[in-house]
Amino acid sequence: MISVTEDNFDVNAVIGRVRRPDMGALVTFLGTVRDDGGTEVMELEAYEEVAKKELATIRDEAFAKYPIAAVEVVHRIGRLRVGENILLIVVGAGHRKEAFDACEYILERIKESVPIWKKEIGKGGERWVPGESHGGDA
Amino acid sequence: MQVRVRTFARLREAIGGDLMLEVPEGATMSRLLAAVGETSEQAGEALFEENGDLRAYVILMHNGRRVRRAEAGTRPLADGDEVALFPPVAGG
Repeated sequence: MISVTEDNFDVNAVIGRVRRPDMGALVTFLGTVRDDGGTEVMELEAYEEVAKKELATIRDEAFAKYPIAAVEVVHRIGRLRVGENILLIVVGAGHRKEAFDACEYILERIKESVPIWKKEIGKGGERWVPGESHGGDA
Repeated sequence: MQVRVRTFARLREAIGGDLMLEVPEGATMSRLLAAVGETSEQAGEALFEENGDLRAYVILMHNGRRVRRAEAGTRPLADGDEVALFPPVAGG
């Protein structure tokens, strides 16, 4: 399942939804709000309809590239405090290597193309976290 | 015809939010960008260099799909279309 939501998630509950007896590996990536020298709050904003479609495309790419059995992605938006959950990716596969590789692939593709933005807010002011990629059309 | 303009992150702040703009029938993406730039001084500065070129960080979407900057001058819009303007994405 793919979701973009303001609600927090329970990591174990998501893993529980994914796991099946034919999976020998469940690789989980959990991204959280980092205290980057005084950050107190992070505001996340999405072009929601497009973000959901793009996440689904990335999931489909991962299935096409790696022999994996399940993918679950939850990306939070809204106002989050330092230490709170932002992103959960769970990949289930028969074996560890494809699960790790697919999880990393999904994460890097999210950073590259899903329309979500973050603003760090702290005592020193606020700043938009710079994007890492221009999607190949600078 | 009317085109909906969605704006995000730093461009949303500069432009002031989403817009519904009236543009001539058959207007291109470039024509619409110029109209967005004319809504305020801040919007114009956020979108365009002093020489009038679209700033390098501006990413364009037309009805949910990326549009290459080189295509903006020839890409025609239709009534009810949605155009999105945003800086490089930073999720994850």
